[in-house]
Amino acid sequence: MLNFFQRIGESLMEFFSQAGDFTVISARALRATLKRPFDFENLMRQFVAVGVNSIPVVLLTGLAVSMVFAVQLAFGFKQFQAQGLASSVEGLAVVRELAPVITGLMMSGRVGSAMAAELGTMQVTEQIDALECLATDPIHFLFVPRLLAALVMLPLLTGLAIYIGYWGGYLILVHIEGQSAFTYASEFYKLVGTRDLRIALTKAMAFGLIIALVGCWRGYRTRGGAEGVGNAPTSSVVTSSLWILMTDFFLTKLMLV
Amino acid sequence: MSSVIEVANVSKAFGPKVVLKNVNIQVEQGESLVIMGGSGTGKTVLLRIIMGLLTPDSGHVTIDGKTIQGLSIPELFEVRKQIGMCFQMAALFDSMSVFENVGFALKRHTKMTKKEIALRVDECLAMVGLKGSDKLKPAELSGGMKRRVGFARAIALKPKILLFDEPTTGLDPVMTDVIGRIILDLKHELGVTSITITHDLKSAFMIADRVALIFQGECLAIERPEAFKLNPNPVIQQFLRGDADGPFLQDPPPPKRTPQEANV
Repeated sequence: MLNFFQRIGESLMEFFSQAGDFTVISARALRATLKRPFDFENLMRQFVAVGVNSIPVVLLTGLAVSMVFAVQLAFGFKQFQAQGLASSVEGLAVVRELAPVITGLMMSGRVGSAMAAELGTMQVTEQIDALECLATDPIHFLFVPRLLAALVMLPLLTGLAIYIGYWGGYLILVHIEGQSAFTYASEFYKLVGTRDLRIALTKAMAFGLIIALVGCWRGYRTRGGAEGVGNAPTSSVVTSSLWILMTDFFLTKLMLV
Repeated sequence: MSSVIEVANVSKAFGPKVVLKNVNIQVEQGESLVIMGGSGTGKTVLLRIIMGLLTPDSGHVTIDGKTIQGLSIPELFEVRKQIGMCFQMAALFDSMSVFENVGFALKRHTKMTKKEIALRVDECLAMVGLKGSDKLKPAELSGGMKRRVGFARAIALKPKILLFDEPTTGLDPVMTDVIGRIILDLKHELGVTSITITHDLKSAFMIADRVALIFQGECLAIERPEAFKLNPNPVIQQFLRGDADGPFLQDPPPPKRTPQEANV
């Protein structure tokens, strides 16, 4: 019985210790964004890695998800003779939920895991110690460009996902279900206001913050050679995906009030 | 002569494993100290404590009169600019070229122009015999070349102190000799104070002004090479002979066999 409570206690201690460490490192990373020197070249490299190189993935997933959703909506609304509503609901769902969440989840897999693997490898090969020895704060040098790139690129990629989401719905509802192109174009944005776009972009920024901080933190805290480097990306993807879904719920609830 | 590096009563344990026990070392201006000892005896931990990468459980390290353990992060970084650290496996930034690795600290910590940085990088690479290899990536270098690029990176900011963590481990005897000569050259050309950790007796006696031996977390001896060779301590004599039999190992080694016995 004592062992059981001991195990629970140890797990709780471990959880709070990890949460505390993450909070401290995140605070240091956020504070470091204002510090000099400003490494423009490094930032540009991260913009390419996080943003430009992710465009094909975002286009394909955005297209696929919006098409599947349009098929489901067309089928569902047909039961009630309300096919006309499909394009409005498609627009609302793509802008408010599908584009930011799918982009966030895909980026946590593509970008967050890469950050964890890269920093993890640097940690176990003493490259992070080498940075310290060269009088360079690893949080400033490694976290800040990745964090800024994710904060800027996630909203842009979400905008791209919304754009491709429009065409995904168009392909199904206009070309397959036979709605008129004019009706689709006017109905898609009918229920969508600027507030919805604001919600989508705010979510995207929050997801960018989560992906960069969790990915970098997991990599920075990697221990134990190849096994540790292997675990860091997996752990980063699982943690940031969970956080993205939870944050999505709370942000939606807060911002729709 | 004043002590540039002073390690005072430093102890460090990781969980139940005590790695360093009350270690005291002073290194004078321009002196080259070689620290030897078996694997896992805390030599690298000692270097990490000197650099401020690890905090000792007790005791402290003073560099040029500044106690490392009491410094704020910006103050610690200022001290680190005076120290060049050469890692065991070089720890080169693998996403950067040789040029970017060597010029890294110059770009971040000096106001040098691109041309001045290029000249200094060339100068540092020439010192370690790698002139012209600035465009290569770390993955394209051999083990010995990586170590030398690591040396070039460490000396780029013209440090007062150089720390070498097992610079010859894993290299062939010829490259080991080359690395030993480079360390000696750097010592003479730059006049730096240095601490080198090595298992290689030949290069150790080539570069050392004084030799120390760490055994079971304690500093057994710290003396000039001639005196060290004559030290009657059985642990030191066993280490110098490179013999498995003696007090050096905690677990008894396998029995010694003649080649004929081994072939049976």
